[in-house]
Amino acid sequence: LFVLLESFVFPVTYVNISKDLVLQQLLVEWDVDKSAREAELAMSFEIQVHRTDVAITVWTEFLNVTLDKSGKPLHWVWDSDFPLECMSHSVRIRSRAEVSNIWSQWSLWKTVLGLDTSNNHGPQIFPNEKIVEEGSDISFCCIGREGQIVKDFFLVPTIPAFNHTNGRLGLLTVKNVTHHDSPHIMVYCQESCNEMQCYDHAGFFVGKPPDTPHDFSCQTQDTRTVTCTWSPGGDTHLYGRHSPKYVLSDEFSQNPILCTVSCSEQCSCSWDIEQQKICNITLTVENPLGKKTATDSFDVTHRIYPTAPFQLWEECTDTEITLYWKLQNIGIELFCQTEVLQPNGKVEVLSYGSVTLRGLQPYTEYTARVHCGAAQDFWRWSEWSEAQTIRTKEAAPSGTLDIWREIKPVLGGRNVTLFWKQAPEFQANGKIISYEVTWRKVEDASEPESISLLSVYNSTRIFIDSHSYRISIVAKNNVNYSLPSVLIIPTGTEEDRSGSELEEEWVNGTDDGIFISWEPRHIYDSYIIDWCNVPALRPCDFQWKSFGANASSALISSAAFVPGVRYNFHIYGSVANRATLLEKKTGYFKELPPLFDPVVENIELTFNAVTLYWDSYPTNESQPGFLRGYHVYVSPLQEDCSLEGSKKHVLPDNSVLCKYSIDNPEEKRYTVKHLLSNTKYKLVVKAYTGGGENPIVNFRYIDTPFNLNILYLLILLVIIPTLAAAICLWKIKWVQECCCPVIPHPNKSRVLSFKEFNIGSEKVLKISDCIPDMLVVDSKAEAQKL
Amino acid sequence: MRRDGWLPGVLGAVTKGLLILWAVPGQGGRPLQPPTLQQVQALEKDQGLAIGHLCRTNRPPEWLRGPSLGTRGLRGLRGTMTHMAQALQDITRHQRDLNPPGAEILRRLASAHLKVRGLLNNLEGLYPAPSPQPTRRLPPSPTAPTKVFRQKLEGCRILWSYSRFLVKLNALLETRRIRAHRERQRAHQGSRMPTGS
Repeated sequence: LFVLLESFVFPVTYVNISKDLVLQQLLVEWDVDKSAREAELAMSFEIQVHRTDVAITVWTEFLNVTLDKSGKPLHWVWDSDFPLECMSHSVRIRSRAEVSNIWSQWSLWKTVLGLDTSNNHGPQIFPNEKIVEEGSDISFCCIGREGQIVKDFFLVPTIPAFNHTNGRLGLLTVKNVTHHDSPHIMVYCQESCNEMQCYDHAGFFVGKPPDTPHDFSCQTQDTRTVTCTWSPGGDTHLYGRHSPKYVLSDEFSQNPILCTVSCSEQCSCSWDIEQQKICNITLTVENPLGKKTATDSFDVTHRIYPTAPFQLWEECTDTEITLYWKLQNIGIELFCQTEVLQPNGKVEVLSYGSVTLRGLQPYTEYTARVHCGAAQDFWRWSEWSEAQTIRTKEAAPSGTLDIWREIKPVLGGRNVTLFWKQAPEFQANGKIISYEVTWRKVEDASEPESISLLSVYNSTRIFIDSHSYRISIVAKNNVNYSLPSVLIIPTGTEEDRSGSELEEEWVNGTDDGIFISWEPRHIYDSYIIDWCNVPALRPCDFQWKSFGANASSALISSAAFVPGVRYNFHIYGSVANRATLLEKKTGYFKELPPLFDPVVENIELTFNAVTLYWDSYPTNESQPGFLRGYHVYVSPLQEDCSLEGSKKHVLPDNSVLCKYSIDNPEEKRYTVKHLLSNTKYKLVVKAYTGGGENPIVNFRYIDTPFNLNILYLLILLVIIPTLAAAICLWKIKWVQECCCPVIPHPNKSRVLSFKEFNIGSEKVLKISDCIPDMLVVDSKAEAQKL
Repeated sequence: MRRDGWLPGVLGAVTKGLLILWAVPGQGGRPLQPPTLQQVQALEKDQGLAIGHLCRTNRPPEWLRGPSLGTRGLRGLRGTMTHMAQALQDITRHQRDLNPPGAEILRRLASAHLKVRGLLNNLEGLYPAPSPQPTRRLPPSPTAPTKVFRQKLEGCRILWSYSRFLVKLNALLETRRIRAHRERQRAHQGSRMPTGS
């Protein structure tokens, strides 16, 4: 039998072929001779697929099958890469038994017809409308009418595609199709004519299957209504009726879940589970490209997400608050947490069933809110309740007021202006409704006087006589008074003496304020500094500051301090509420240059010096700084200055002045020396303070006179001799006669200056005493004279 | 003064103003012209219908052929606007399948739909129905396309035809307004002519 079988062939007895246009598949059915089945032979089949447009075998496949006796025909499915509608497809099969090497004859071609065998009313594109997954390939065909050819076959928007046109048939393949901004990609096919019937159009969508829902979770607020939430996933690029659809189902429920899905950033759906306790929820998301699921299994009592507590109310004292709230009754024990926001910004979380907050400040606001969760099988906290702001009740003020006074003597006594403020350690513990000022004489037990002032006031003025008085001030709220703050005003005489001989010391300003220091004295238990923020005004915005017994300096800062204003400070020492003025200080927060320059009233000028005299210059509070002295600036008009004893001062225009400094503010004159005579100079006197001096604007101009000494010298050395010479020349004979006669008078001659021989008043000449060089006897008158 | 010549002129001017103000889509309610050529081209391109100007049909639907005001005057516009409101609703539904929520075209269609409904409301106010009638929903067109391409093409052609319709209506109302103005002027001058010569 085996030998026989070796030479046997078992041809295919029939072949049937059909097409599934939805799946684009050819369905092939065939069978072989009954004897092969009876023998349960292992057979091989060769299947060929042929497409009419290319007239070649487009597919060949070998199939190995072991036959059985059931008689069921054999089946094979072929997925077409091109739409089956456009062209006809044919299939044939041959067989071979495995024990035999001989192939049977081919069966006849079995054909399923396409539109290539008919004449349609116009070109047709297949598939006409499709939804494809991004990244996949898609093929189109366009079959024209009989006798027509496909002229154009393309996509809009333009996408790279393989295009093959063969007469009446066009084929278009897009590989790895991607989503474009266009929602719908159009396919156009045109025959070689232009009428309406020469076109066909199709289109397809490119999208994605839905993502598996993330964060799928279900919970309940009341054990009856379950709400499931999930993240919707990425954009599928399919919208409207193609957009993902969500369906929820419960394995443990016979009823379908009817809920309306709403999606924004999250999706959610709620439905009534009635008495059900265990759920196994499946969320299915589906679009034309796929389906995904997510599941959540739970016990409803383990998924309690309570509603927020509501209707908070409280009971409170001055230091305690007890907070109450209401909860929705869901038959589940809940556990709550309270958050308290304190005035200092600190947040405290208290985990209690109900809350009593202790150790609080009176008359202070606290903000509290509550959230709750299941006590057993905690799932999550509810939302916070609305915050409740609660103010504790008032208590009596604690601490004392910081008080001070300003005393002004008047006729018959003193006006005392009292000031008060809340010291750092003072706690109002409520709303201060008034301040009460009480004063009485210290010496006797006279009835005190008192006044009450509304809380808006922080000062008052009382009149007291010259006796010593005790003044006390208390603050009052709705509960009680504060402890009194006390001042003792000494008698008028003591007050007059105090501080009268004190001198004011200068103090300096810094960037942060004015630095005050004083000599500490151990007898005092506190120090007070007072000043006016706006000294020029009435009221002057009186201020004070208190310091402990160990203090000896302070930096007084105030937003009201401005440059150029002189502030006066009084430093007091206080013991047993009795204050004594210790020191006076005065200073500027920042000195400014003087308001004006000294007025030079008088100038004394010599040929080489100028003395400047100016008026008294004010040094009181009107000045924006302490006057330190003066500067005198001098310069010749035509050139830079360089005078002996001066310093150089360069102006902004690079001209150089000579500068002289006067360090004594009381000085009112100055002499500039070593000037050149007969020269024009400009000069100016500037006052300066710790803040400097103002820029030089105007000069005084002087002209040094000519130097007379030189003139005198000139006269003496030049003019007079010249004059004398001229006179002599003019009277030369007289001069000659006088000075150098030809025959000098004997009295004037030396020859007569001998001593031996005098006759009376005449001198006798001995011839032997002279040696004349010439002797002439003259009888003329001259001789007679002689 | 002829009253029957005056009233249509006034009503025409009013309605023209309303039409321009309300009926042209996507223009923010300001008086302006029908869509420009660039806007139509942008729509064609957005819809992928720029090939061969497929939107620019010469065969509009019957309810957009005209306008001819005739003896019924502006009353005839009620039918047109009723159809247009329905058409915009259908177009919007189709476009929702093609565009993400919040897309520009969906916003513009919603705006146009709102304006057409507003104009329809005004027309119903100007020309109230003689007796209350139940709200009549238009039957679906027997040839309503089901394929996406056909839906897009049909919608685009309706919008194109509608814009052409408005252009013609605008011109027609302007002509009638000018004519009514001239008639009023002539009547006014006639009443001021001196009696007797």
